[in-house]
Amino acid sequence: MSWRVDVRLAGSGGQGLALAATVLAEGALVAGHTVTVVQNYGPEARGGSSRSDLALSDVPIANPECPFPDLWLVLHQRAWDRFVTPAVAAGRGTLLVDGDRVQTGRAGPGVIALPFEAVARDELGAKVVANMLAVGALGCLLDRVPLATLRAAAGRRSPAAFARLNEEAVERGWAMMTGARDGARGRMSHAGRA
Amino acid sequence: MSRARRLPEPTRPLPPAAPAGNGAHPTLTLVQGNEACARGALAAGCRFFAGYPISPSSEIAELMARELPGCGGVFLQMEDEMASLGAVLGASLGGARAMTATSGPGFSLMQEHLGYASLAEIPCVVVDVMRGGPSTGLPTLPAQGDVMQAQWGSHGDRAAVVLAPGGVAEMLELTRVAFELAERLRTPVVVLADEVIAHMREGMRLPDASQAPPPPRPGPAQPPGPAFAPYRPNAAGVAELPAFGRGYRFHVTGLMHDERGRPTSDPVVAAALLDRLERKVAPAVDLVPADTYRLADARVVLVAYGITARIARAAVDALRDQGVPAGLWRPRLLWPVPEQAMAQALAGAELVVVAEMNRGQWAREVDRVLGPGVPSAPCLKAGGSVITAEELTQHVLGARARTVAP
Repeated sequence: MSWRVDVRLAGSGGQGLALAATVLAEGALVAGHTVTVVQNYGPEARGGSSRSDLALSDVPIANPECPFPDLWLVLHQRAWDRFVTPAVAAGRGTLLVDGDRVQTGRAGPGVIALPFEAVARDELGAKVVANMLAVGALGCLLDRVPLATLRAAAGRRSPAAFARLNEEAVERGWAMMTGARDGARGRMSHAGRA
Repeated sequence: MSRARRLPEPTRPLPPAAPAGNGAHPTLTLVQGNEACARGALAAGCRFFAGYPISPSSEIAELMARELPGCGGVFLQMEDEMASLGAVLGASLGGARAMTATSGPGFSLMQEHLGYASLAEIPCVVVDVMRGGPSTGLPTLPAQGDVMQAQWGSHGDRAAVVLAPGGVAEMLELTRVAFELAERLRTPVVVLADEVIAHMREGMRLPDASQAPPPPRPGPAQPPGPAFAPYRPNAAGVAELPAFGRGYRFHVTGLMHDERGRPTSDPVVAAALLDRLERKVAPAVDLVPADTYRLADARVVLVAYGITARIARAAVDALRDQGVPAGLWRPRLLWPVPEQAMAQALAGAELVVVAEMNRGQWAREVDRVLGPGVPSAPCLKAGGSVITAEELTQHVLGARARTVAP
């Protein structure tokens, strides 16, 4: 039986969602999966809403559009307001959000809120690597691409000056998700903060 | 030249290819549609690009700018799209395989030179990555609204050759084919892509970069000299183009001309020339066959190209799951319309649904070819968003309920 997982990554232009999708896709491709990525963005270089659809499968993917994602990554309130449908808000698909940036109005096991931007800024010293933290967290959640493969993809797809930092961020993001999961096994409150 | 030509800065290497994977397909690389297009052009021997970057085609110019100087080619950023195609035509007459890439607004500006290239029989490749229009419209959103423009945007009865890639790998493949057709038929060839395909990333096998590009244009069999007739057709109806600077002297004009290239207003000569220009592109129909999906026993046939065809495949599966014998016919050549192949593929259909992101540009061609005997219910959407598989499926179910007797 073939499988397909649809992921939609949404944020504000400049947060690096398109790069995040590309890194995940390349990791998945190297891991032997079939992937497609399509994007939706405005004419603004920064500040508009940006969205990428990533489909993973073990068979050729005909339709790259992901209108009903299994998994969401939302890093900005504006993207939530624009892209997230009432069905998702009501509980369809797993949500991974930056809890400091996005108020979802939804709680429970399907919502995972992690402080990507805060950790990027306070622990890694660069707010811009929040996207790579999210890549790591998504990779851990997807459980279909080895961490080392994802980390290497981040390094290859980054500008040279950021390669090392982005690789680190992927690893840290993966650990954030592991931590959230371990916490969630005990009590759901940590994962349901948003 | 007294002043040394300033060469561009040393080129930045291509984004590194993914290393060999450890999974099911170890030789695939994650490639973007526009990148695939540029790589296809380079593999086809394209060594001249003149353009004016515009969303959503800009990555093609970006990659050509990076790559061409390093392999003996020339990249020119021009002042506008009119000049861009003009430079491309000049380079082609000089013997180079040449291309430009643009989107709807720029494609409109290129129509003058596109007609000129058709009549003067100058091979070149023009990539149009369609976005929402008219005018500057929707710079970053997808559409398929340039289908008629690609055929009829230039004045006069132009014989157009227009290809429609349906994926990243096909962006590369059809760009290669476009160069081959342009050279073989001595005519401009348009690659008509859409924003989704152009910006889509998927895994594909890249051609061996170390492979030598195709040899230069062979040139005419006739020797240079006073008897040389640059527009005298060979057996295939194609006049072979010599490169300027190889001893051949000839006149290039946008006026109707005789075989020697001399302007004429003789209606008999002009009509014969228009006939020949149309006849010579006809073989394109056999060289770029359509693709099909679950078509063999289909009674409901979807017709779609570009990203819409990818979505239509999903709709075909959904319809089959609901017991509707659906199939897909996907043309990869939009102009000249592959009439015979279309009529054959769609014979016996009880319902034909053309899906496209415009207000029925190619659907009218399908209706024209099939005639009123075949029920047709196009699924059309313009305004900057794709037709979803769910919308298309519902559309087909509704149309079937109305047109097909239970």
